[in-house]
Amino acid sequence: MIALITNAFLSIVQAAIPASAVVVLAATGAMVNEKVGVLNLGQEGLIGIGAVFTVLAVQVWEIESPWLCLLVGMSAAAVAGTLFAIATVVVRANQVLVGLALTLGGIGLSNQLGTNRNGTPITVVFADLDPAGAFSGNQITEAFFQHDPLAYIAYVFLPLVLWFLFYRTRHGLDLRAVGESPATADATGTPVLTFRMLYTILGCAISGAAGCYMILAFTPTWSQDIARGRGWVALAVVILAAWRPFYVVLGALLYGAMISLDQTTQARNWDLPFLEAKDVSFALAMLPYLVTLIAILVPAGLARIGKRKSARDAPGGLAVPYFREER
Amino acid sequence: VIAGVRLARRLEVDPRRQNITRLLGAAAGLLLAGLLLLLIGRSPFTILSDSIEAIWSKRGVENVLRQAVPIVMCALGVALSLRMRVWNIGSDGQFLFGAFCALGISINVDAPDPVLLVLMAVAGALGGALWILVPALARAYWGVNEIITTLLLNFVALELIKWASLGFWRDTKSQVTKSTVLVEATLPRMWGFERLSIAVLVPVVITIVLFLVFRATTVGYEIDMIGGNARAARFAGVNVPRRIVTVMLITGSIAGLAGMLQLTGVPGSQAMGEGFSSNFGLSGFIVAALAGAAFAGVPIAGLFIAAMFYAGLVLQTKGLSVYIVLAIYAVVLIGVAIGEVAARYDLVRPRPHHVDVPPSAPAALTPTGPTP
Repeated sequence: MIALITNAFLSIVQAAIPASAVVVLAATGAMVNEKVGVLNLGQEGLIGIGAVFTVLAVQVWEIESPWLCLLVGMSAAAVAGTLFAIATVVVRANQVLVGLALTLGGIGLSNQLGTNRNGTPITVVFADLDPAGAFSGNQITEAFFQHDPLAYIAYVFLPLVLWFLFYRTRHGLDLRAVGESPATADATGTPVLTFRMLYTILGCAISGAAGCYMILAFTPTWSQDIARGRGWVALAVVILAAWRPFYVVLGALLYGAMISLDQTTQARNWDLPFLEAKDVSFALAMLPYLVTLIAILVPAGLARIGKRKSARDAPGGLAVPYFREER
Repeated sequence: VIAGVRLARRLEVDPRRQNITRLLGAAAGLLLAGLLLLLIGRSPFTILSDSIEAIWSKRGVENVLRQAVPIVMCALGVALSLRMRVWNIGSDGQFLFGAFCALGISINVDAPDPVLLVLMAVAGALGGALWILVPALARAYWGVNEIITTLLLNFVALELIKWASLGFWRDTKSQVTKSTVLVEATLPRMWGFERLSIAVLVPVVITIVLFLVFRATTVGYEIDMIGGNARAARFAGVNVPRRIVTVMLITGSIAGLAGMLQLTGVPGSQAMGEGFSSNFGLSGFIVAALAGAAFAGVPIAGLFIAAMFYAGLVLQTKGLSVYIVLAIYAVVLIGVAIGEVAARYDLVRPRPHHVDVPPSAPAALTPTGPTP
C-alpha cells in the first residue's frame, strides 16, 4: 500500500513539474507586467504565438538548436507585446480590452499559422538534464530532478533573478513604485512610461516562453488552441501568489499537481466509491480550475475576516493608465 | 507636434463624441483587417461581397438573427455590469450552466410543454445567476478581481458540459455519441419565419427594460454612480456591495436565460455538446465594448457582430478559416479601445503659454480631426 502511494506520488511529481512549468513561465511574465501596473489579459494569445513560432522555427526555418527556437518564439511574443505596450502604455487604451484583443488575435494567428501542422511531431527538443547519469536509476531523483534545462530556468533561475531585481536593487524599488503609485514614481524622477514599456515587453517575452516550452519540452507537437486555458490559470496564479516570484512557482505547482492527478488516475483507472473510473476523470478535469479559484478566494476571505490590511493586495496602479496631468 | 498642431487633453469627455470616435476606431480596425487580408493574399472585396451575398437572403437574415439572440443577450449582461465597471468575462460559463439547468428540468420533470418551458426558463436564469454568485460575493465583499474568477468558471462549465454529454446525460438512443439527450419542448415559431422562434423577442424586451431602468429610475442612476465613482456613491448612501451582487446576479441570469433559449429555440441544437456555445459570451463582450455599454447600441452592435460571425461560418466553406474572424475581432477591439481614448484629445494650435500637452501622445490618436 505504501509502495503504491509513493509510486503514485512520484509519478504525479514527475508529470506535474513539466505541466506546471508552462504555467510558471506564463504567470511570471504576467507578474512582471503587473509589477509595473500593466494588466495583461493576453496570456492565452502570447502562449499561442510563442508556441506557433517555435513550431515554425523547427519545421519551416529548420533551426536545429532548441535555444535558438526558444529565442524565435520569445521574439515573436515580444513583437506582439510591443504592440500591446504601445496600445496600453503609450496610447493608454483600456488594458482589459486590448488584453482580450491580444488573446483573440494571438489564438487566431497561431491557429491560422498552425492549421496544417496539427499533430506533426517536433524533432528539436530540450534533453533532460542528467549530469554524469547522477539522476537516472533512482526513482526519487528521476521524478524531482531529471527535467529539461528550461524547467530549471523557470523554477529556480528566473524567480531568483526577479526576486533579487525586485526586492534587492534600487532599480527594483523604482519599478515597484511605478506599479504601486506611478504619480509618486514620476515625482521622484522615474520615467514611468519607459519602465512600463520595457517591462511589459519583457513580461510578454517570458509569457511567450511558456508557449515555446510546450513545444520544446512538454508536448513536442503542435495542436490547435494550444494554450487551453493555461494563460487564464497563470493570471489566477499571479493573484494567489500575491505578486511574488517564488510564490508563483508554488501556485503553478498546485495547478500542475491537479492536472497530473487527473492523468495519473486516468492511467491507473482508479475509481471512487460513488463514482466510476470514467466519471472520476471527468470530475477531475474540473479540479485544476476549481482549486485555483478556491486558492484565490480563501486567502482573500481570510484577510477580510481578520480585518487586517492585506499585504497580498495587487499593485496600487494596476490596470490604471497613467496620465501625468491627472495625478 | 505635427504640422503646427498638437494634442491637448480634455478634462471632460463628451459621451456622444466618444461614440463617434469609438465607431471610427472600429472602422479603422476593419480597414486594417482588410489590409491584412490583402497581405495574406485574400481579396477583402471578394470576401465582403461573398459575405453580403450569404447574408442577403431570407435564410441569411434568419440565421443572423438567430445568432444574434445569444450574442445580444450576453452583451446586455456584460454591458449592465460594465456600467458599474465590473468586467464579467464569464458569460460563456453562465450561458452554459443556464442551459445545463434547463436541460436538467427537461430531463427530470414531466409536465405539459408550456409549463415545462416556463420552468426551464426560470431554471436557466437561476442557473446563470448561481454560476456568477461566488465571483459576485467575492468581488463585492472581499474585493477579489472578477475578471479571473468569472473566467475560470467558464472552463469548469465547459468540463461539466463535456461530462454531461459524454457521461451522465449522454444520448444512448441515437447515433450521436457526443451529445446529451434531446429536449422535447420547443419554443413556438415566429410568425412567418421557419428558423426563428419567439426567442428573438426576448433580447428586444430586455434591452427596452434596461434602457428604461437606466433612463428613469433611481436604481439605474445609482448603478451609473458606482461606475463613475464608487467612493462617492458610498458616501451618498448607496450600499455598493449589495448593488454589485444584485447587478452581477442579474447579469448572470440574462446569460443563463440565453442558454435556455438557445437550447429550446434553435432547431438542431436542442441537445448540449461540446460546440453548444460558439464563444457567444466572448462575442457578447466585444459587442458590449463596441456599444460602449449603452443599451440602445447593444442590439445594433450585436447584429453587426452576429452578421460577421455568420459570414465567417459561411465563408468557411470557401476556404476562409474561422481563425481569421477571430483576428478581425481582435483588430476591431483594439480600434474600439483606441477610439475611446481618442475622444479625450483635441487637436489645437499651440499658443506660447500652452502647457497642458501630454508628453508622449502619439499622432495616431486623431481620427476626429480638428475641433474648434
